[in-house]
Amino acid sequence: MIRFYVLLALLLPVTGYAHYIPKDAQLEVNASVVATWRSASLVDEYEFWQIPGTMMGGHAWPQEKGVSVDETMLSLGSRINERVFAVIEIGSHGGGGDHTDEIELQHAYLGYTCCETTGPWVLEAGKMSAVFSPSLASHAADRRVSDAPLVNDVFFGRDFHDEGVRFWWHETAGVSAGVELWRGTAYPATDTGDTNWDVFARYQWQGERLTLSGGGWFYQASAESRADHRYGGTHTHTPVAPPGVTAALFPDTRFTGDTDITGLHGAIRYNPEPYWQWGVEAELMQMDMGGMLHDSAGREASVDSEQFGVWVQPYVQWRRHTVGIRGEWLSTDNHLVGAAAPVLATDSGLANPQDHDPERYSAFWHWQWRDNLALRTEVTEDRTLPESDLRWSVGVIWSGRLWPENSGSSAGHQH
Amino acid sequence: MRKRHLRAGIRRPVIGVALLIMLTGCLEQSQTTVDDQGARVSGFDWGLPDHIPLPREPEDNPMTEAKFQLGRHLFYDSRLSSNGTISCSSCHHQDKAFSDGLAQASGATGERHPRNSQALVNVAWNNTLTWANPSLGTIEKQIMIPLFGDAPIEHGLNEGNHEQVLRSLQVEPEYARLFAEAFPDQSDALFSDQAWDNVVKALASFVRGLVSFDSDFDRGELSAEALRGERLFNSERLECFHCHAGYNFTDATTDRLTSFNTLLFHNTGLYNIDGLGAYPEPNTGRHEVTGNASHMGQFRAPSLRNVALTAPYNHDGSVDTLEDVIRNYAAGGRLEVASPHPGDGRMNPYKDGFIVSFSITESEIQDLVAFLESLTDQAFISNPRFSNPWPDSANKDLTP
Repeated sequence: MIRFYVLLALLLPVTGYAHYIPKDAQLEVNASVVATWRSASLVDEYEFWQIPGTMMGGHAWPQEKGVSVDETMLSLGSRINERVFAVIEIGSHGGGGDHTDEIELQHAYLGYTCCETTGPWVLEAGKMSAVFSPSLASHAADRRVSDAPLVNDVFFGRDFHDEGVRFWWHETAGVSAGVELWRGTAYPATDTGDTNWDVFARYQWQGERLTLSGGGWFYQASAESRADHRYGGTHTHTPVAPPGVTAALFPDTRFTGDTDITGLHGAIRYNPEPYWQWGVEAELMQMDMGGMLHDSAGREASVDSEQFGVWVQPYVQWRRHTVGIRGEWLSTDNHLVGAAAPVLATDSGLANPQDHDPERYSAFWHWQWRDNLALRTEVTEDRTLPESDLRWSVGVIWSGRLWPENSGSSAGHQH
Repeated sequence: MRKRHLRAGIRRPVIGVALLIMLTGCLEQSQTTVDDQGARVSGFDWGLPDHIPLPREPEDNPMTEAKFQLGRHLFYDSRLSSNGTISCSSCHHQDKAFSDGLAQASGATGERHPRNSQALVNVAWNNTLTWANPSLGTIEKQIMIPLFGDAPIEHGLNEGNHEQVLRSLQVEPEYARLFAEAFPDQSDALFSDQAWDNVVKALASFVRGLVSFDSDFDRGELSAEALRGERLFNSERLECFHCHAGYNFTDATTDRLTSFNTLLFHNTGLYNIDGLGAYPEPNTGRHEVTGNASHMGQFRAPSLRNVALTAPYNHDGSVDTLEDVIRNYAAGGRLEVASPHPGDGRMNPYKDGFIVSFSITESEIQDLVAFLESLTDQAFISNPRFSNPWPDSANKDLTP
């Protein structure tokens, strides 16, 4: 792990992105590292981050006090010939103590472009990020705020890497649209369920000073005995805590059923003056979840859940400085029926005895100090749990092209 | 011109933000509703802590206080045997958590039972009854075995004597009242054709109502030794908690919240008399019922609540102390050299996957025993509600 960081630090910085199509017949190597110091942990040690009224999972670990590596990424892309390209990416996701060190293969896919006479159709297959939601596909290095959107944490377990196939109409006259089919290894699906898929469409309009973009998508996931793999899902034991400290066993409650998520996203950018830019980015998601909760003790309850999340992020940019705020809101409406409903509601996290509405507000200042090096400071009022938490953070973002060295920015097609 | 651009540049995003914030105002108040379909409703006061789910009650024998009290009288009544010598309480003593302290008990005719008398602790939550019968799912069915069974003879009731035994109950004035209160819908619950059915239902109600959830462990009052023992119990090294799982410390637990149950039985490597995994007859466990060779030596994991009071241990009472039970598990089974059934249980091919040898010090054994002792419920073994109700015990329960 240390050697991985040292290797990245020794190489020249450029820019890194989640999904991209390499350009030209050449090899591209991109990398990024995001490290952040935070003044407080969201939950204490030996406690779990479980937002009342939600089921969580994936990589949605809580923010921790001190320095943490939010993300590392090393990506290799190559245009094998005029029509075929390949991308491999390895990286880690931050948060969750020991989990920080887990390097995993995030992308390994082949792409095929064709049909210039009727339009640039692209077919991609392999392990890759989904592109239906721009925020879900973005890396920590790309975001203005270090924390992933709250709704991504809750609905998708922070990120989305799965094995699948994508076929899409790719950015012609500002329009992209397509369909993705997934094996189901990414939360909230499981690979033992039925087919998981999504459709998406988006449009971007570029004026002289104004840029507008927006889109919508629908994602459907099927899960069978889905666990919250952050803390459970495998052979678990009561954690060993120091004397006097209570360490509870994480309740391994499973979900079997379907999850439908619909999203709308939009962004406005306006450049009133040279070096000035105003903008607003936002995304809304609605999730409908229906199925059964169950556990190893043979307890079951049916669950019908409707949840709604939104984040809004206005900002002002002057030269290399960007300041802004992000507000995030979540609303949950859950109904559980069955003899075991009370205990499974508590164990799964869907219980919400205080009718808590999760919220989070962040204010940030992002300074692109050098082309490949940025500094970021934030203050976050975190009300995702009934007890609010105020934390400060200071972060460093390093991202860029490692190969070829003399290229100022990535020649590939970024998303 | 420049000012106009700036004003427009401010106005547009501000309007956008305002619209989105108005949208968030439309978010509904979060809520979670739960419908447990009456899972916490019972006509009987179980006296359970909030975190313990109610046990299942048979539809044809719902719990009532009157049936519990009738069952309590019958449980301690030695007239409920062929020769008036034993009652249920003969092999189930309250001070021993309703076990008897013997390796194997004897019935009314002196025939020795091949099995160790099980403690009657939270039986209502067992998904099977007795040591190894997967088909025995209700206490009502189980009670027929000690009353009417002949292999071995316990109470010794049969076709020839059951009417005489019933008459001995009918002459007891107290029973007239108790039966009438327990079965108010019947015109003559003690004398009708349903009398024996009523006896069984009442006994089952009493046994079902023997509830123990008031130990030091339940109150969170563990000593330092017991805390260390608890960690060992839940450790990857010892693996105890897999078979002795949950609030009743057995994986054979069911309650109103469970929708499905996997019936689990385990071979703990106690015997291997032929080198091929055989257990001594007639104690071959689940295999006795199913005839399936792979079920050889499989027994239900008993609850560990009050286990410190229920020695000797294992299905045949062949292990005297908790320390020796732990040592057998540490060895990955039992090596029998001098006993009537020699063999290396450690090599039993049907042994459960969790019975693997582990290293443990004598100090750790004592810590683990301290934890098991913390599961003793003193209130349970002294609760007058569970004790012998007959004022003249010499006339009723003849056992010490």
